[in-house]
Amino acid sequence: MSKFFYKRKLDEIEEKARPVHINSYKQLVWTKFKSHKLALFGAVVLIGVAFFTLLGPLFVEVGYEDMDFSNLFSPPLTEGHPFGTDELGHDVLVRVMYGGRISLFVGFASAVITTLIGTLVGLFSGFYGGIVDRLLMRFVDVMLSIPMFPILITLTLVFGSGIMNIILVLTVFGWMGVSRLVRGLVLSIRETEYVMSARAMGVRNGRIILRHVLPNVIPIIIVSATLNMSYAILAESSLSYLGLGIQPPMPSWGNMLQRAMNYILGTTAGTNPWWLTVFPGFFIFITVLNVNFLGDGLRDALDPKFVSES
Amino acid sequence: MKVYFLKRFLELVPIFFAISIIIFVIMNSMPGDPLLQMRMQNPRAMTNDPERMKELREYYHLDDPLPVKYFTWLKSVLTGDLGYSSMYKSPVIDLIASRLPNTLVLTITAWLIGLVFALPIGIISAVKKYSTFDYATTIFAFIGISLPGFWFALIAIIIFSVNLGWFPVSGMATYGITGFWNIFSDRVRHLVLPAFVLGLVQVASWVRYIRTSLLEVLDQDYVRTAYAKGVPDRKVIIKHALKNAMIPIITIIALDIPYFFGGALIIETVFSWPGMGRLMYNAVISSDYNLAISCLMFLAIITLISNLVADFLYVMVDPRIRMGRKGA
Repeated sequence: MSKFFYKRKLDEIEEKARPVHINSYKQLVWTKFKSHKLALFGAVVLIGVAFFTLLGPLFVEVGYEDMDFSNLFSPPLTEGHPFGTDELGHDVLVRVMYGGRISLFVGFASAVITTLIGTLVGLFSGFYGGIVDRLLMRFVDVMLSIPMFPILITLTLVFGSGIMNIILVLTVFGWMGVSRLVRGLVLSIRETEYVMSARAMGVRNGRIILRHVLPNVIPIIIVSATLNMSYAILAESSLSYLGLGIQPPMPSWGNMLQRAMNYILGTTAGTNPWWLTVFPGFFIFITVLNVNFLGDGLRDALDPKFVSES
Repeated sequence: MKVYFLKRFLELVPIFFAISIIIFVIMNSMPGDPLLQMRMQNPRAMTNDPERMKELREYYHLDDPLPVKYFTWLKSVLTGDLGYSSMYKSPVIDLIASRLPNTLVLTITAWLIGLVFALPIGIISAVKKYSTFDYATTIFAFIGISLPGFWFALIAIIIFSVNLGWFPVSGMATYGITGFWNIFSDRVRHLVLPAFVLGLVQVASWVRYIRTSLLEVLDQDYVRTAYAKGVPDRKVIIKHALKNAMIPIITIIALDIPYFFGGALIIETVFSWPGMGRLMYNAVISSDYNLAISCLMFLAIITLISNLVADFLYVMVDPRIRMGRKGA
């Protein structure tokens, strides 16, 4: 007899049998979210990173372009430079803070825009169906089978670099995944009894979409928005690392790494400035990691039934 | 079966053309005049003579309207002429042929590394669901999908090449080494870091798929029956459960093949690995038009083919689909 098998089954039965007292959907979501430790952790860390990058620069007098010529390549914990300095005497901590503003803004903005566009297309395509739906989804199929990253590189050359252009590049090809998810869900919601009864009562399409379809799609939208954000932050940093994204002297976590790579084998003075590589990359990593934690928690908390199907 | 694949294959044809149009339009909206670029690279070969420039513009079909350009290009590509690379001064097809093996070596090694790590980890974490090992795997999987690949590569270089000196920093081979075994070990030493970085990043997402898919199967009645019959745990998992769990896993792994080529782009750039990814990057950056568009199309074709392969494997391993349940 298999001990481990029965133990597993028992655990599961126990889990299912545990009574949960709930009053409303919102409470249910909050209860579930609270019990997801990683998601809570993620939310706290993200708020921390946001405060660090938004408010941090207010407390230091040095700007991201200010150079300290007596401290070139100073290691971390040098007086006045907790994260050290780079080849021009820029303070790495200050640049990480300003760079974070840009990386977070680009990530957040493109996540919001791609999710909005994707949702609109998905709602429209799924709800009205027909030839428009078929054309749109074929288009999405085609776009999804184009190698993404090389195209992003090409698009940055077409649109040019700079914050707004990077957001544009990331959104042009970013909305397809969301639209497909939303459309699939809308297709099944469209056939539910409550939508049919609303139709029978003569409710107009716009109102059905707003009152009956949209609320059911929101969980999936929120989850894919977090996924989009982590993707956008990674993509922006990769593009900037390749020298195509945010251009110096404006710092972003990605382009700080690009400059760090020049000194990866050591400087002419023979030192090895690892802090130039470690700090910006660590912040990208921590941010993306915790966005993913948060997304996972939201996925579990919001509506496991719909979201896990996707 | 055959009809199904023929049908699937024919479906790819319009998608292929649609992709080629999109890529062509994007590439054509890239700024920069190829002729001016040629003049910059070799100022003495072409004079500033406007007559001569006009002739050249005509010769290269630079002023044709976009649709005409597209068909000219399509015609030459379909007849096997990919054009001439302005940056490397050699035919595009030769360049791709010389770089492709390098990328294949890198991606196949990375792919194997990913598989070797992901399979056992995924199986153990599914079998021991909610154990410490499972939680640790979950966290590591999250870390894996959140790591920026290039940063991981840089850190690996700092630790293993610069500080420990175990592996070379970049490149694919050291110049001037003789003897088969010396060359072989030199190649391997160059391969280790990029292949591991590329492969380990992939382990994270595969582990999750393997875990989910195996868990689903472990809940099935026939697995319970096997346990009830007194089949040992190990045998149930490997013979009964894993066999069926492999179906979605195989599909995912096949679908990820193009990712390796795309991911290789940045890893190849970091490690100066002379493969397709870096070739494509250099081509796009220096607006080497023919080369860039060929590389992009090549990647798109690989994507389409691996979709087809995934489909094919899916049908091969799952007899239920062959019966036409999925609807061919």
